[in-house]
Amino acid sequence: MFLGDVDLSRMELAIETSGLTRRFGDLTAVDGLDLHVRTGTFYGFLGPNGAGKSTTIKMLTGLLAPTSGSMRVLGEDTSDLRRAREVKRRIGVVPEDLALFDNLTGREYLTFVGRMYQLPAAMVRQRCDELLAMMTLAHEDAKLTVEYSHGMKKKLALAAALIPNPDLLFLDEPFEGVDAISSAVLRDTLRQCVRRGATVFLTSHVLEIVEKLCTDVGIIAQGRLVHQSTMDEIRDRGSLEQRFLEVVGSDHIERQKLSWLEG
Amino acid sequence: MDTDQLRTILWLRWRLSRNQWARAGGLGAVLTLIVVALGLVAGAGGALAGLLAGGLALPKVPPTMLLAIWDAVIVVFLFFCMMSIVSEIQRSETIDIGRMLHLPISLRQIFVINYLASHLSVSVILFVPGMFGLALGLALGKGLVMLWLLPLVIGFVFMITAWIYCLRGWLVTLMINPRRRRAIIAGVTVGFILLTQLPNLLVQLTSDRGRHRPRTVPSASSEEQDQIPSQGKRERPIPPLMLTAHKVVPFLWVGNGAMTLAAGDVRPAILATLGVFAIGTLGLGRAYRSTIRFYQGGETSKKTRPKAKTTVVVRVRDDGDGRLPGIPQEASTLARAFFRSLKRAPEVKMALGMNLMWLVMFGGMALFKRSSTTPDIAKPFMATGAVAVTFFGMSQLLFNLFGFDRGGFRTLVLLPTRREWILLGKNLALFPIAAAIGLVLLALVTIAVHPPTMVVVATILQLPAAFLLLSMMGNLLSVLVPYRVAPGSMKPTKTRTTTTFLIVLSHLLFPVTLAPIFLMPLLGLLFEWAGWASAATVNLIASAMLLAALVLCYRFSLPALGDLLERRERQVLDVVAREVE
Repeated sequence: MFLGDVDLSRMELAIETSGLTRRFGDLTAVDGLDLHVRTGTFYGFLGPNGAGKSTTIKMLTGLLAPTSGSMRVLGEDTSDLRRAREVKRRIGVVPEDLALFDNLTGREYLTFVGRMYQLPAAMVRQRCDELLAMMTLAHEDAKLTVEYSHGMKKKLALAAALIPNPDLLFLDEPFEGVDAISSAVLRDTLRQCVRRGATVFLTSHVLEIVEKLCTDVGIIAQGRLVHQSTMDEIRDRGSLEQRFLEVVGSDHIERQKLSWLEG
Repeated sequence: MDTDQLRTILWLRWRLSRNQWARAGGLGAVLTLIVVALGLVAGAGGALAGLLAGGLALPKVPPTMLLAIWDAVIVVFLFFCMMSIVSEIQRSETIDIGRMLHLPISLRQIFVINYLASHLSVSVILFVPGMFGLALGLALGKGLVMLWLLPLVIGFVFMITAWIYCLRGWLVTLMINPRRRRAIIAGVTVGFILLTQLPNLLVQLTSDRGRHRPRTVPSASSEEQDQIPSQGKRERPIPPLMLTAHKVVPFLWVGNGAMTLAAGDVRPAILATLGVFAIGTLGLGRAYRSTIRFYQGGETSKKTRPKAKTTVVVRVRDDGDGRLPGIPQEASTLARAFFRSLKRAPEVKMALGMNLMWLVMFGGMALFKRSSTTPDIAKPFMATGAVAVTFFGMSQLLFNLFGFDRGGFRTLVLLPTRREWILLGKNLALFPIAAAIGLVLLALVTIAVHPPTMVVVATILQLPAAFLLLSMMGNLLSVLVPYRVAPGSMKPTKTRTTTTFLIVLSHLLFPVTLAPIFLMPLLGLLFEWAGWASAATVNLIASAMLLAALVLCYRFSLPALGDLLERRERQVLDVVAREVE
C-alpha cells in the first residue's frame, strides 16, 4: 500500500533484508537472506550451529559488513553510515561475543553506555539502579567486569542493551548462562518491551523458550532462510520442535547412526 | 603412557605448531624458519667459539681468571633467563595439561615433555652450547681433568631451568585471578626494567664522583704513573669473603669448580655437580607437585589456611557524568571512561614501565650531575629531549588506540556516536598520563641542567604540541593498522606480516614524527647565531606558534579521521576483537 511515495507496509517492518549475503573466503555463511520482521513482534531466529544466525545479527547491527544484498533496519537503509549511526541510537544489542570493557566496573559500564546514548545523568543513574537490581548485580556493581563470571557478563550486557529503552533489541543467545531467576525476570521484561511496541529479535537454541516467548519465527539453515511464519501457524500444525526438525534436522538424524551402537 | 600415546602427544604438539604457522601465512612460516635457522646457527657458533676460546685462548690463564670468566658467563646467562621469564609467563604451556586430565594418560610424562620443551628458549639456545663448548675447549687446552666441568655445567643448566620452570608454575598459580595475573606481569616487567637500569645508575654515580673528587693528593710522578697500569694488570688475590661466597652460593659453583679444577682439585667440582643436580631435582619435583595441584585443584600448601575470597572493589566517586570544559558531552564521557580503563589496565602500566627507566636515568642525572658540565647550547635540546622520551613508552598506546579494547571495541561500534568523538575521547584519556610523565621528566632535567626559565616554558608548550602531533599520526595508524594486544601483555597477537612490518616501521619513524619540536630550539639557536634575537625567546615564540598550528591541524583532521574510522570500524573490529589461542 502506497501513500504518495511512502510505502506504508515497509514502515511496519522493523527489519527487512533482501538477498543479504556474507562470505568468508570460500564459505558462504549467509546466502541471499530475505528476512521480514514486523514491528512490535517477538521474533525468534533459529537454526543449527553454524547456520548463520550470529553472522546475520552482526550484519544487521553493523558489526559486520555484508558481501552483497540490502537491509533496512527500522525503515532506514543501513548501508548509509550516517543513517546507520542514527539507527544505532534506537537499537539495543547483546552480541554473541560480549562487548564489555574489562577495566570498568559494572555500574561504570552501564553509566558509560547510558551517557553515550545521551540520556540525562539522573535518568542514567535511575536506570542503572533498576537494571542492576533486576539482574541481581546490585551487590557486584563495584567489581570490574573482568572479574565477572560469564553469566554475570551476559546479564550486564543485557542491562546495557536495555538502558536506552530501544525500539529494537537484538539478542544473540540472551538466556545462555543466565540463572533461572534472572532468566524469568528477563523474559517478563522483554515481553513488556514488546507490549509497549518495541521489537525483539533473538536467537536461541532452546526451542521451549522461543515457543513460549516469540510471536514470529524464522529458521535458517546453511545460510538460507528455510522457514518464516508466525508462532500461531506453527502451533496449528504441531510443535516448534517438530517443525524445526522437519526443516533442518530430520535428514541429519536419519544419517547419523553409530555403527557400533546399532544392534 | 605407552609409546603410541607418546607419539600421539608429540604429533599433537607438531600439529598445533604447524597449524599456527599455517595461519600466520606463507611469509610468516618462512620468517619462523629463518628465526629457527638463525637460532641454530647462533647456538652452533657459540659452541664453536667456546671450544676455540677454551682450547686456544684460555689454557694459560690463571685459575682465578677462569673463575671470573665463568662468573661473567653465568651472570649473562642468568640475565637472559630472567628476560625469558617475562615473556614465558605470558605463554601457555607447550601441552595444556588441563585439557588432558580426563584422558587415560600419565600426567608425569606430559609434564616432562613440557619441561623439556621449555628448553627451547633464547637463553638456552644461545648460551648453553657456548658453555658446553667452553668446558670442552678447556678440557682440550688445560687437560682432561677439566672434563669434570661438563657434568657441572649440565647440572647447573638443569638446576636453573628446573627452578625457572617451578617459578613459572608458581606465578601461573598466583595468576588464576586475571587482575592479579596482569599485575604480576606488570610487576615482573617493571622490576626487570629497574634491574637493567642499575648498572647505569652505578656508572653515573661512580664516574661523577671520580670526576668531582677534589685532587688533594699531590700528583704522582711520571714514573709512578707508568707503574699504575701495570699494577692493574697484575693478578689480584680473591678476597676470602668472595671465595666463601663461591663455595656457598649455587649460582657461583661453576666458576668455583672451574678454578679448583684448573688448580688440580676435582673434589669441589664433583660436590658441586652433585649439589646442582640435587637442587635441580628438588625444583623439578616441586614444579611437578604444584602443577598437578594447580590442575587438579588441590591445596597449594599444607600450611595454607583457607582465606576469604578476595574481590577487587573499586570505589567510585562519580560515574563519569562530568563534562570536560569545552569538550562535547559524548567525547567527555568517552574520555573519562577510557581514562578509568587506562588507569586500571596493567598493560598500560607495563607500557609506561619504559618511562620508569627514563625517570631513573634522568633522576640519576638530577642527583649526580652538575649543571656546569652541560654546555648552554645543549640545555634546550635536553629539555625538548625530555618531552620526546615521554612518548617513547606510550607509542603502543598512541598508535594502537583500539588494540587494548579487544572485545570492548564492539561497544564503540554499536554506539550511536560520531566517530570523531571516539578518537577525541581516546586522545584526551591519554593526555593526563603524557602530561604527568612529561612534566616530571622536565622537572628532573631542569634540576639537573638548569635551563633558562624561558626554555622551560617553551618546553612545556612543546609537550601538548608533541602530543597533538603523535595523536594525529596515532589516530590514522589506529584506524589503518590496528592489531590486537593479548590481555595482560604488550604482545601483538597473530598479526599479519604486513601489519608487523608497519608496526616496526611506525616505531622506527617515531622519532621523525617528533622532529618538529626539536626544530624549535634549533630555530632559537640559528636566530641567536645570526644575532637577530635570543635563542630562548625565539624558542618560546616558535613553540607557542607550533602549538597553535597543531591545535588547528588536529581540529580539522578529526572529522576526516572520524569518517575514516566509521568506514573501517568493522575491519578494525575484526582485528582487535578476534579471540586467538
